[in-house]
Amino acid sequence: MEHLTKSFGSEVVAVRDLSFSAAPGKVTGFLGPNGAGKTTTLRCLLGLVAQTAGKATIDGVTYREIENPITVVGASLEASGFHPARTARNHLRMIASAAKISDSRVSEVLETVGLTAAADRKVGGYSLGMRQRLALAVALLGDPKVLILDEPANGLDPEGISWLRTFLRHQAGKGVSVLVSSHVLSEVQQTVDDVIIIRSGSLVYQGSLLALTEGGPAEVVVRGPNIEQLVIPSEWSIRPGSPGETVIIGATPEAVGRAAFEQSLELHELSAKAADLEELFLGLTAEESPTNESVHGKGGPG
Amino acid sequence: MTALIRSEFRKVFSTKLLLILSISALGFMLLQIFLSVLVTPPGFEDTNRLMDPAYIKIVIASAGSASVFLLILGIVAMSGEYRNQTITSTFLATPVRWRVMAAKMTTFAILALALAFILWLIAAFTTMLLLGTQDSAPFEWSAAFEILGGTLIGLVLYAILGVAIGSLITSQVAAIIIALVFSFVIEPLLTVFFLTVGKWLPGNALNAILQSGGGGPESNPADFVSVPVGIAVLVGYTVVFAIAAAFITNKRDIT
Repeated sequence: MEHLTKSFGSEVVAVRDLSFSAAPGKVTGFLGPNGAGKTTTLRCLLGLVAQTAGKATIDGVTYREIENPITVVGASLEASGFHPARTARNHLRMIASAAKISDSRVSEVLETVGLTAAADRKVGGYSLGMRQRLALAVALLGDPKVLILDEPANGLDPEGISWLRTFLRHQAGKGVSVLVSSHVLSEVQQTVDDVIIIRSGSLVYQGSLLALTEGGPAEVVVRGPNIEQLVIPSEWSIRPGSPGETVIIGATPEAVGRAAFEQSLELHELSAKAADLEELFLGLTAEESPTNESVHGKGGPG
Repeated sequence: MTALIRSEFRKVFSTKLLLILSISALGFMLLQIFLSVLVTPPGFEDTNRLMDPAYIKIVIASAGSASVFLLILGIVAMSGEYRNQTITSTFLATPVRWRVMAAKMTTFAILALALAFILWLIAAFTTMLLLGTQDSAPFEWSAAFEILGGTLIGLVLYAILGVAIGSLITSQVAAIIIALVFSFVIEPLLTVFFLTVGKWLPGNALNAILQSGGGGPESNPADFVSVPVGIAVLVGYTVVFAIAAAFITNKRDIT
């Protein structure tokens, strides 16, 4: 994705000079709140929407340049629909024939997503979760090396989300590159290697999940009977934590422990605060607001 | 292209659209034939129109009245892909969009050809049987065959036109309403009040091809363009709409 910009009419800019890349053979989460431009970005990438400026390519070529693209890139998009009176099998068969894919592959992908029993029922009677599975089956039809999934967890129950995690991990294990979008970090948190976070059509973070948590300021939680007497260097700051806890920002547990020891203060707890990804994510994607900015600071290099 | 046409056939035969519109077209045609043969309109009580071989030909040309159903078939099939958002899957599988359009137009042309032949056959037999119960001029198969070519060409072109309109106006309801209002209100009004303009419209070009003069009792085939000119006019409309549809579809954002 290079300097991608898409505006609808003269007023709405959905994607603004967005540049990022997703590494091959990894699961990359594409995150941002609803309306951040995720779907528009993916539709540009898939040649469904013409960008106003910039370039969106897969392995160096645009989607429209790929010969028989669904055998290279499998995509399931939010709002890609089904004819309510058509069965799942017939929906897949009509796409399969356009891409010269055999009907036996249709049965295979129905099996993979667990829809074999419902394959000959009309899609109009499907639950949201079953539609999501059918959309995944469509994406898998061409046995692609790249999967682009837009909000695949939307409408799934906890069991479905757990199934999706296993499914994505399995695909990555086979060497498939996966780009999966979501507006809820926790849905993909356990699955993704890297994340790309956008807000209002612009990139706010790209990198590994680990680096995202390290990018935030280090925080140490301490508890002790007289902890309020602790004298701290000027580069640290203190904020209240849960009842009985004090959170020291900008310090490491070692440094806090040494300071407490030197000042002969009794400690009942001394631990590095595990970064709350969801909070970090919300902080990154929230509209500019002073409170969020001061609490969470700058989230990362992006 | 064979793969794409195969895909389009699978789309058609996995829903009931074709069946419903074929039955509607058949019912409408039969109604028109029965009325034309059995009911004498006011003002014609003194003459038996059934004695006129030209009128019998007009009755058989009722097969052409299915044109509006073929038009709707094309519109619903194409705009339905936008309505149900299957267009996303379609263009993901085939990003070169004009090929999808070409395949869909070819598919509906083939379906229209088959349907037109069946309707023509039923129209001819029904007319023959009905005339047997009436005091009339003899039924001539030669007259029926003179209508056959026009019926096939007219219905095929209308089906293609429908696909083109369905991709120009992707709101299904709007596309159908516009097509119906044009066919049943604007075109007849222009024909009545400005025949010099009206006879160049697609509906009257179709009437010219069918040599039916619209099929009504007051119509006069002499008011219409000749058969070859009618074909040229209808082909012209179809080509212009098809090219416009392919061009606009290629530019369209699929959101």
